This record gives sequence, structure tokens and C-alpha cells, in this order.
Amino acid sequence: MKAGPSNSDAIKERFETLKRDALQRFGEIKGAEVPRITIGMATCGIAAGAVETKAAFEKAIAQHNIDARVEATGCIGHCYAEPLVVIENPGFPPICYNNVTPGKARALVSSFLVDGDPLFEYVLGALEENDMIPSVRDFPRFSMEERIVTALSGRIDPEKIENYIAEGGYEALAKALALTPQEIVQEVQISGLRGRGGAGFATGRKWEFGLKAQGESKTVICNADEGDPGAYMDRTILESNPHQLLEGMAICAYAVGAEKGIVYVRAEYPLAVKMIRIAIEQAEAKGVLGSGILGTDFSFSVSVFQGSGAFVCGEETALIQSIEGKRGMPQHRPPFPALQGLWGLPTIINNVKTLSTIPAIIKKGGEWHKQMGSPKSPGSAIFSVVGKVVHPGLVEIPTGTTLRTLVFDICGGTPHRKAFKAVQIGGPSGGCLPEAFLDTPVDFDSLIEAGAMMGSGGMVVMDENSCMVDVARYFLDFTQKESCGKCTFCRIGTRQLLNILERITKGEGREGDIELLTTLCEEIKEGSLCGLGKTAPNPVLTSLKYFRDEYEAHIKEKRCPAGMCRALTAFYIDLDRCARGCDACVGSCPVEAIFTTRDRKKAIDQTKCVKCGECVAACPPQYTAVKRVSPPHLAPRIERPQEPQE
Amino acid sequence: MDAARPNENDDNVTPLKVLAATLAPFDVKRENLIPILQTIQEKEGYLSPEAMKMVAKHLGVTASEVYGVASFYNQFRFHPPGKHQIKVCLGTACHVVGGEIILENFERKLGIKHGETTPDREFSVDRVACVGCCALAPVAIVDETTHGHMAPSKVEGILLGFQIEKERKEREKEQRESGSQQ
Amino acid sequence: MVKLTIDGKEVQADEGKSLLEVCTDNGIFIPSLCFLKEMTNPPASCRLCFVEVEGLPKPVPSCRQSPAEGMVVRTDTELVRRLQRSALQLLLSAHHVDCRNCHANKRCALQNIAKFLGVGLKPKRLEPLAMEFPQEREHPNFIYDPYKCVLCGRCIFVCRKRTGYGVLTFARRGIDTVVSWFGADGPDSPPCDRCGECVNACPVGALKSKETVQAPMEAAGA
Repeated sequence: MKAGPSNSDAIKERFETLKRDALQRFGEIKGAEVPRITIGMATCGIAAGAVETKAAFEKAIAQHNIDARVEATGCIGHCYAEPLVVIENPGFPPICYNNVTPGKARALVSSFLVDGDPLFEYVLGALEENDMIPSVRDFPRFSMEERIVTALSGRIDPEKIENYIAEGGYEALAKALALTPQEIVQEVQISGLRGRGGAGFATGRKWEFGLKAQGESKTVICNADEGDPGAYMDRTILESNPHQLLEGMAICAYAVGAEKGIVYVRAEYPLAVKMIRIAIEQAEAKGVLGSGILGTDFSFSVSVFQGSGAFVCGEETALIQSIEGKRGMPQHRPPFPALQGLWGLPTIINNVKTLSTIPAIIKKGGEWHKQMGSPKSPGSAIFSVVGKVVHPGLVEIPTGTTLRTLVFDICGGTPHRKAFKAVQIGGPSGGCLPEAFLDTPVDFDSLIEAGAMMGSGGMVVMDENSCMVDVARYFLDFTQKESCGKCTFCRIGTRQLLNILERITKGEGREGDIELLTTLCEEIKEGSLCGLGKTAPNPVLTSLKYFRDEYEAHIKEKRCPAGMCRALTAFYIDLDRCARGCDACVGSCPVEAIFTTRDRKKAIDQTKCVKCGECVAACPPQYTAVKRVSPPHLAPRIERPQEPQE
Repeated sequence: MDAARPNENDDNVTPLKVLAATLAPFDVKRENLIPILQTIQEKEGYLSPEAMKMVAKHLGVTASEVYGVASFYNQFRFHPPGKHQIKVCLGTACHVVGGEIILENFERKLGIKHGETTPDREFSVDRVACVGCCALAPVAIVDETTHGHMAPSKVEGILLGFQIEKERKEREKEQRESGSQQ
Repeated sequence: MVKLTIDGKEVQADEGKSLLEVCTDNGIFIPSLCFLKEMTNPPASCRLCFVEVEGLPKPVPSCRQSPAEGMVVRTDTELVRRLQRSALQLLLSAHHVDCRNCHANKRCALQNIAKFLGVGLKPKRLEPLAMEFPQEREHPNFIYDPYKCVLCGRCIFVCRKRTGYGVLTFARRGIDTVVSWFGADGPDSPPCDRCGECVNACPVGALKSKETVQAPMEAAGA
């Protein structure tokens, strides 16, 4: 079963043949004197209109009758700039264009490809240093990142294995197969890599358990059941570079002695499922997956299992139940899956990011990885930074980078000159950290110490208009809905927490609610069976700790300081600012709550208003007459004039 | 209608033969239960009581087991969906920019609550937890199309678009019919 | 056999048994709802049977803990009692407390445990939850009341153990979880052999035997 060093030359030779092939195919494309247009076609790109943009390019190229290639790639992580297009026009550096609408696409073809004018007004930056066009490296969103896992995302075509191999892919697997399993486990232990799924368990130790575990067969599972509402890096990795994950899985399988692999993907990610399936097929055809990998007697086959929408299945014992065709309910541990997992056999479960880091570690060595980032959680961390931030998207940074750098320097801070309030890290298991914690380095231990959690890496930035009580309520609503219902604390406890929070956001909070929340949270944390229940109270506990004044304002003054809780706010139109005869707001109101006053200004019927805020957006900026107040009784009452009887 | 008691008298039941053909390629293995249910739902749009009973028979487990598993997962529905499926994302990023307001607008305009289908079976509205397009929040998915940066006015626009499309088709149909009569 | 100390008392125990059984065998009452000694993998879901074991950082459910030589166990610590009271109060807040009209009155495990822990049956701290289930549901052989069910899963376990296939299962999820027997009326469904073990296994008043056991099979759950 083991490919000893004796046949390492044979492995190398097999791999070199593969690589020569791949380089030849991609060298031809790169060397060709034909313009090449690459469009980011991952889910977010498509949602932003990449399909229409691609069609526009193709049509325009046909109309102008020029020779150019239009290709799809994955996601580069710059979601704010989607659809994102890179044009490599001979004689120019590769240029990156942001927010490319079909109109811009047509303009780029006729001006740039035909007339040689790169249209500076649409340029985001050049991908290489040059003296013609400013480089994207001048832009902190590019220069401050350090990419391991996402290095090739958005740069290669995920549907072509040759592209991955040409960029150095599967080299780590070839290297690994010439080592003994013990050597690989040791390398991973040296690297200090910790599981990127949330809890941060040492990957090397997990593999060691797996290697030592006895069982007639072993399974490697890639956990891609990314359920945190606000995190999507796993999806992006699967869509943009599926081979890197497969390579990591194969190395893991060789190290622990597994023959079967399963990628457990959320059903909500159809494109990711498609990409990983294509990748498996191609990898098998090339002999880097399947039986007798690279000429050795090591065999490893991978299948895809689609989750059916249950957040709790991200928990490894629940995930196993679900693969076995049962209700995804977590089981008491021990036994741990590494010893008794799927069908009672040893099962190694790792997150997408963890497995995708493995090829780089094997290629560059464990020491290299250990040197990167903070000493106790070395390596890189991938965050999806979203919410009230100027440049949202995926960011890969060395661990230990401070939150301030991440939110303000890399992602541009909060837009519209609103004040930063908090950053929510780790989704439903994490917490909200206020400004005072912005200098916290992002690594497993520092974040837990601050009360949050690395979790899956979802990061939502909140500004002064975000209500912390409402955010806590939102997360409890989520965990409560996703609780499997097995154990008492999670099933009933989270519902009780939610009820109290709902009461508070509706202005029905009572004296003693804060204390009740605190004790209940502690008990749920202590008493729950699995990680979902144990971490569910975190959003409440951190917001209570850092934003207690907001809870008190809701309970005692029935006021929402952020003006978000709809039961505690009201909109009204400032008659001094409202322009006579203007009716911009009237059409925007979905419930016809806006009426004309006697002197032909507008006012809001509070009994009808649903507080959606559309009128605020509709009111012309020179008037800004619509105001939001909390508590609602501060809004002046204006009677609707009697309609003339017909 | 309570989900624990799937509608026994649904008139929209797929011919059982078609179902049997769907089941045939799957081995009699418990781990095929979820993939089978997913395949049926993809074809039928939902899981009818008859379908679940057939799956049970195929796999040699009780119908109760099948329903127990199916009702655990968000993905499975027990009633036929609308012709147009509207899913409103309520992920964190969408929530902080008013995803719930978008959902409410769909609900109000269609006169149904999330999880329900309009009486004419044209539309169904569901809430989903994060589709991973957070930078475009708030997001709604209508059939296969993702709509980013939603606003109540866009809700109206989307529904109006369907209305116009439907009327156009009806007109065409009428014209064709009146044309064929001549 | 191993020797261990429970609440300061030295006891002998069979390693194959759970700590919960060992305690019970030695006359120490451990509140519990979901455990049955025939179970090989107890669900540990009721979260009542906590004990503290020296050397472990947190209280553990005794149903999933094996006794070991020299183990020091305490069943009556402040933290254990706090968790037990909290779990019980949560269960009661989701339970239709109407003892006087309940057939399980005076032999109900909730009453028993509440008395032991000194917890009132209508805890002031938590509001009763307003939940919506289908109405009281009838199986040909029993009546199920989801408002009283504590979701311990004992009925499901004994049914599966006896029949080998399980007429009863959990259905739905989270706070909406119920015990279900979907499709039990179907022509292909394996029959319920009317043993009544499920009713006997219920620690509370959620399952009630129908007097007319011979009643014809009607649409289950209808």
C-alpha cells in the first residue's frame, strides 16, 4: 500500500510528464498573440451580472470581427468590484477592470481591443508593475494580502486541471507519495496548522489519531457544509480552485491510510458541486486520483455528498449521521470520529481551508508555514468581510494581523462617513467586538479571549446604524431555527433567549431581563451537548458585555439608539424641509402611508407605516426631509386631511 | 396545513411509474436515502406522501423513518412549490441592510407568508440563510436569477415583470386561438 | 470490577455499566429522562444526569461516563444542581403543566425530579413557551400529546428494539420536533404490534393508551 522512497523516481517521472503536457497546453495559450479576456464567473460574479458581461464581450468581438479569447475563471475575492474582468492585450500589461457592465464591455472591445485605448476611467489597476498604468499593488486591498489558499483563485480556470498543474499543482502530492505517512504527519505537525473550521484543533494531531486508528477502512471527509450566514470562502475555494482541495485530500488520505474520500457540500452551492465533480473526473483521468495514483499502489477515490440544509451538520458527528442517511443530530463525544466515525470506522474530517493549505505546506515545508503569522496559530486566515464596509469580499491575511488593519486599511472602513460600531466575527458562534478591540490580532486564542471566535471566518462590519440587541436577536433566531432539537438546553434554551430578546427589541423588555439572559446563557453554554448549543449564547454574551447600554436603552427608555428596531422607531417628514408639491416619496412607499397635507406638503400616516425606509432614500438630497426617531412618540403627529366625500 | 401531516389527498401526485423509474438506479442502501429524496424533489419540486412511502419501500425502512429524515432538513418541502420560486436571503450581511424588509414586501405583495404558495400556485416565498453573495446584500433569488442590492421598489418591479410576461403569453395564446379559428 | 468513590462513599462497580446505573444501584438518585439501561449509546439528550468527576473540567452526563478504578465522583455539587435545575425549568417551560388532569399525575418523572431538586412546577423565572403543534394526535393504539412530550426518545428506542424497524421516529426539527408515525396506515408499512411498550416507556404523560385497543386502524396522524 505504501509508496516507499524506492519508487520515488518513478512517481517523479509520471508527474513530470503530466506537467510538461500541461505547460505545453497553457504555454501555447499564454504565448499566443491574441487578446485574452478573463471574467470572474463564480457565484458572486454571476449574481453581479458576469454572464451578461461575458455575452456582451463575445458579441462585440464577433461584431468587430477580431481574434480574441474570452475565458471564465473563479473568484478573485474582490466582491465589491464584480463583475471583474482581466484583459491581456499584447503590448499592454494585464489590466483589471471592475464593475464591468455589458456597456463597458462593448466600449472596451471597440476602444481597447480595436483602437488600443485602455479606457483609464474603467481601470482598477494593472496586474503587473509597469510605467503605463498604476498597478493594483498600489491598492492596499491587494498589497496587504498574503495568499496561500486563494493564491490561484480567480487566476486559473477551475474547469481545467492542466491550468492547475501548469501553476505547480499536484506537485505536492507527487512529493508526498515519496515520503512515508509518518513523515507527512510530522510535517503537518511542524507546520502548526490548526483546523480552519472554527475550533482550531491541531491538524497534525488529528491526522496522527487517524494514522494510528485501527479499522478495516478509513475515510477522509472534507467539511464544506459552510452554514455560517455571512461566510462564503469555502464556496469560493471550491468554485475557484477545486483541485487544490482534492490534492490536499489525497495527501491526507495517504498520510492516514484512507481509501475513500467524501466532499460534503451544502446543497445551496450548486456551482461548487458542479466544479468539484468536474475536478474529480479530470483528476481521475490524469491519474492523480482514483486507483494507483501516479503509478504507486496508493488508491483514493472521492465522491460528493450534498447536504440538505441543516447548519448543525457542520458539526462533525451530525455530518456523519447525515451521510449515513439519518437525521443530522450530533452525538456524544467520545468516541471521536477519528476513531469511530462513519459506519463506526476511523474518519478524518477537515475543513476546506485546512485541506487546501496542505499542498503548500508539503511543497514549502512545515517550517515555512510555522514562520507565517502569529506563533500559536500560524499560517493565513481567510475572512469574508461584509456588511458596512467599502471594499467587501474575501481577504486572506497572515494570522496576527489586527482587526483594524483588516477592516480599515484593507477593506476601506465604513462607507458614507458613518461611525464604526462593531465587527461581528465567527457568525452564530462568535461575537461582536467594539472599537476598543480593533487592535486585537486575528488568531484563534486572541479572538476567544475577546469573547468572539474565529469560527468559519465570517466577518460582518457594523456601523452606528446597526443595533447590537437586534444583531444578537438575529443570531439567536438563526441558531434557534437550526437547533436539531435533541438536547434540552439548545432546543428550549435558545428559544427562551430568543423570546426575551424579541421582547426587548419590541420595547417590552423588563427589569431583570439582562440578568436572566446572562444566567441562561451561561447555563446553555455549560449544559449543551454539541458545539452549536455551547456557542449559541456567544452573540448575546458579547453584546451584553460590550454594549450593555444599548440593552438598557431598549429596556428602560424603550429607545433603540441605532434606530434599527422597528417597533421602537418612527419616520416622520420634517415639514420645514419638505418641498411643497414634491411627491418623490409618495411613489416609493409600498403601503401608501404618505399623504398630502393641507399646504401640499407630505406627511406619514403612522398607523400605516411599515418603517421600511424607502422614503428616506427617495427624498431628494437637497431636502432630506424624512427623519427617523426613537422612541416613536417623538415623531410629530399630523392628521390626514379629511378626503372630500364623493 | 401542518407539515407533520403531509397532504394525503394531493391531486398533483406524480404517476407512481415515473417515481419507480427514478428510484431504480439507487442501490438498496440506507445512505442513499438523502440523495434519493434530493433527486425526487429536483424532479417533482416537492416530496409527496406517496413518494416518501415508495422510497421507504425501496429502501426497506418505514415511511416514518423517511419522513423523520426528510422533515429534519430545510431543503425538503412537502407541498408543491409555486411556478416561480422566490427566496429571500436572510444572511447576516443581508439582515443588517434590511433583508427582512424585502421579505415583508414580497409577502405583502403576494398576500402570503414565507413558506407558503399563492393560491394560484404562481409564486412561493421562502427565506434562506445566506446564499453567499454578501457583497450584493440584500439579495433575493427569483427562480434561477440572483438579484442583488434589493429594494422594495425592485420587489414591485420583479413581480410586475412576471405579470406583464404572463399577460403577454395569454394574449399570444388568445391570438393563436382566434387565429386558428379563422 | 473497579473501585471508585461516589459522594465520599467507596463503591464497587462493573466497568460495563454507566456511571448513572452505578449511582442508582448504590441508592444515589440521579435525575434523568432519556436513559434506559438497555441502550448501548444513550443519547445524553435530556441533560439532567450531570455529575462531577475529579480531573474533568466540567460536569459530564453520567449516562455516557464509564466508571474507572480510583475515580472520584460527586453528584451533589452546586454546579451540578444548577445545571439540573436549569434543564428541568427549561423542560417545564415547554411542557403543558396540568398535573391534576393528567393521567400520569403522581408517577410523572418531571414531578419526581422537581420535588428532588426543589423546583416549582411552574418556574417563575421562565415564561411558558407558546408552541404550535398539531392537535392531540391519535394513533390506533395511543394518544400522543406533543405539549407534554419531553422528547426523551424512549418510546422510539423501545419500539425499534422490539420490532426491529421502528414505527415511531422523531420528525421535524428544533423546538418543533415531535414523535411521529407517518405512513403507519400504509398498506406496505410494517404493522404496529400493539405491544404498548412505548406507552409504558414514557416518563411523563405524553403517551396514553387507548382503551379500545381493538379499534380498526384509522388514518394515523389524521
